[in-house]
Amino acid sequence: MAAHGEADQLGTTSDSDQGELNETDAPGKSEDAILFASDDFDNLTYEGLAEEAQKPVQKGTIHAIVRQSSNDVDSRSNTPNNIDHDSSEVSAGEESVEETAEQAQITPRADNTEVPDTVDASRIEIEEEDAYNPEWKNQKKHVFILSASGKPIYSRHGKEDKLVTIMGVMQALVSFVQDAKDQLRSIVAGQHKFVFLVRDHLILVGVTRGMDSTQQMLLQLMYVYNQVISVLTHSSLNKIFKQRRNYDLRRLLTGAEKFFDNLLNLMDTEPGLLLTAVRCLPLDSSVREIIAQSIVQNAKLKDLVFALIIVKNQLVTLVRMKKYYLHPMDLHLIINLVNASESFKDAESWTPICLPKFDASGFVQAHVSYLDNDCEVCLLLLSVDRDSFFILSEAKDKIKARLIRYNALQAINASIKRTSYSTQQCGIPDLRHFLYKARSTAQYTSPELEAPYTEPAEQERLFGMYLYLHHRIHTSGRPLKILFHVGEYETLLGWVTQGFELYAVFGPLITKTSAIHAVNKLLRWIKREEDRLFILNSVTF
Amino acid sequence: MASNKVDAKVVLLGKSYAGKTCLVERYLKDRFLGETVPYQNTIGAAYGAKTVNIDGHSIVIGIWDTAGSERYEAMSRIYYRGAKAAILCFDLTDKSSFDRIRFWIGELHQHEENCKIYLCATKCDLVEENPERRAVQDSVAKALAKDCMANIYETSSKTGKNIDELFEKIAEDYVKEKVAADELEQEAIRIAEIGRKAHCPCS
Repeated sequence: MAAHGEADQLGTTSDSDQGELNETDAPGKSEDAILFASDDFDNLTYEGLAEEAQKPVQKGTIHAIVRQSSNDVDSRSNTPNNIDHDSSEVSAGEESVEETAEQAQITPRADNTEVPDTVDASRIEIEEEDAYNPEWKNQKKHVFILSASGKPIYSRHGKEDKLVTIMGVMQALVSFVQDAKDQLRSIVAGQHKFVFLVRDHLILVGVTRGMDSTQQMLLQLMYVYNQVISVLTHSSLNKIFKQRRNYDLRRLLTGAEKFFDNLLNLMDTEPGLLLTAVRCLPLDSSVREIIAQSIVQNAKLKDLVFALIIVKNQLVTLVRMKKYYLHPMDLHLIINLVNASESFKDAESWTPICLPKFDASGFVQAHVSYLDNDCEVCLLLLSVDRDSFFILSEAKDKIKARLIRYNALQAINASIKRTSYSTQQCGIPDLRHFLYKARSTAQYTSPELEAPYTEPAEQERLFGMYLYLHHRIHTSGRPLKILFHVGEYETLLGWVTQGFELYAVFGPLITKTSAIHAVNKLLRWIKREEDRLFILNSVTF
Repeated sequence: MASNKVDAKVVLLGKSYAGKTCLVERYLKDRFLGETVPYQNTIGAAYGAKTVNIDGHSIVIGIWDTAGSERYEAMSRIYYRGAKAAILCFDLTDKSSFDRIRFWIGELHQHEENCKIYLCATKCDLVEENPERRAVQDSVAKALAKDCMANIYETSSKTGKNIDELFEKIAEDYVKEKVAADELEQEAIRIAEIGRKAHCPCS
């Protein structure tokens, strides 16, 4: 794309007729944010990650309860029957070898010496490795999780146990560089980028030949890592690997593969994860207020931390306990949980979930139910009281009754059917699509995908352009405020201020001046619609 | 996790893919989706309730269908705490699911002494169709049932075989125990009253 492109920083050129960008108040801005992103994409660097690992544990009564409950579970999982029957499911039959290696683990090199043992050459010849399969090779993006000792845990494509060799190589690369007191971050080979993230006892590797930048891949790996934490908690992950360094983590993740698959698919199609922002279901603010009040009035319970309604990956409302905020990354994991699980549709469920940004050390309990017969409106009540299922179930019935009485459920369903909005509604000719993120509230909005972006291949290309634009603007070495990029098929304009991030896609022939007029007009349009597109008031219990 | 609306709490435990969700689905909704809908593992636990009539007693059975994945085992207690009955499910065509039953028996004996255990061998239609698929011998399963003084049922959620019988038995056992407990209590009150009368100094 760069071949046809000409990238300029508007601020530095002196064309008189280019128009002015009016950096007024950011639409969708709110002092009273419901979501709270304590960090930013720009801070997502390897140094930043190291700092995060050392950050102190959260304080507050709720966090104390979360930690307490996880201690209860931990002390129970100490019982021998939980850890020690690791036998039949181990992949490569290297158990005895690793047992001895485990005793010799004082030397950090033990990892390296294990590798040749784990790869049984004769076995690979018989069972065909996925890595030789051309279809596997042709996949655009791979994500792998392996343990620090090189045991396969997850692979996005193919079966992880047929990728023992390649995972062994990855582990060898990581530990070879570690040996030199250094850290392997990424490798670029031809069209492919290999990005490595080492956290605790896990090695995550992302391989892409798409538009994703290294930093964007790192963000995706962070999501995947957080998904692991969300299923297991950080404390039990640590505990397991402290007890047995060569533990086969797949045993604890059985049934969770679909969360990873679904999350990775979401990341390739849903801009919210890239922007660490959520999309809200468009609703009149009065309706939204009724919904929030229905929750507040009927679910004001001592240990209820968050109550939220999600529809088709979009947030309808979020009510939170005072002083406690939900991080958009955690919200994406909740959305992913709902999106990936069919089983919630059959019955009310009661499930533990760990929200890594909120508290990685323990679980909160989630009461999950659908409020309508079509199973689209999903209510989640997150509590730290593990015995409160029936209280929450009762609260849910009351919330549902009130939503029906005030026609709010009907309004939600109508909004789902109406689809979001068309780019044309903004009244700007030549504007094809855009993403707008209000930074203070970590929410974003974008119109429906319309022609020419109706085919999956075209949608993928559009998403690739957003990745490119986002990457160029956020390049850590040289962050840009504004970028005007003329491509072969479309012209891109990216603009980032304190208050918002805007990424707009125009037809290829638009001039700089008209593009600037267009985005100014667009901002005014979003401002007019902000009550409907964003949640501007934070409701607390 | 008690509620005044529920009389008998029943929990289903067992390895994943043993057929717990299908069993509940058949009992509560009288349908079997195993052949049309792809397998979906349960997340956490799902709850359902049903009212049954036993000898003129109307009781509400609250059923907890738990996830079989191993990571939930450490916290399974929040689901079986206070349960009156536990249905331990194993797949007749999967030996490893049967081996897991002993773990659950141990767990329940340790933490929930008052919980009655019912063994449930699932997918018996598969075994009837093709006897070679049977991985758990009848004698072995019965021996285990005898060991832990449990009733054992061979069920099929596909055909519905033995499923109503299983839950009916649970409800009957519950009512029987409850009636016995009530009588005991009334007796205790009577004795207390008699005792009070005898010792009343004013009479």
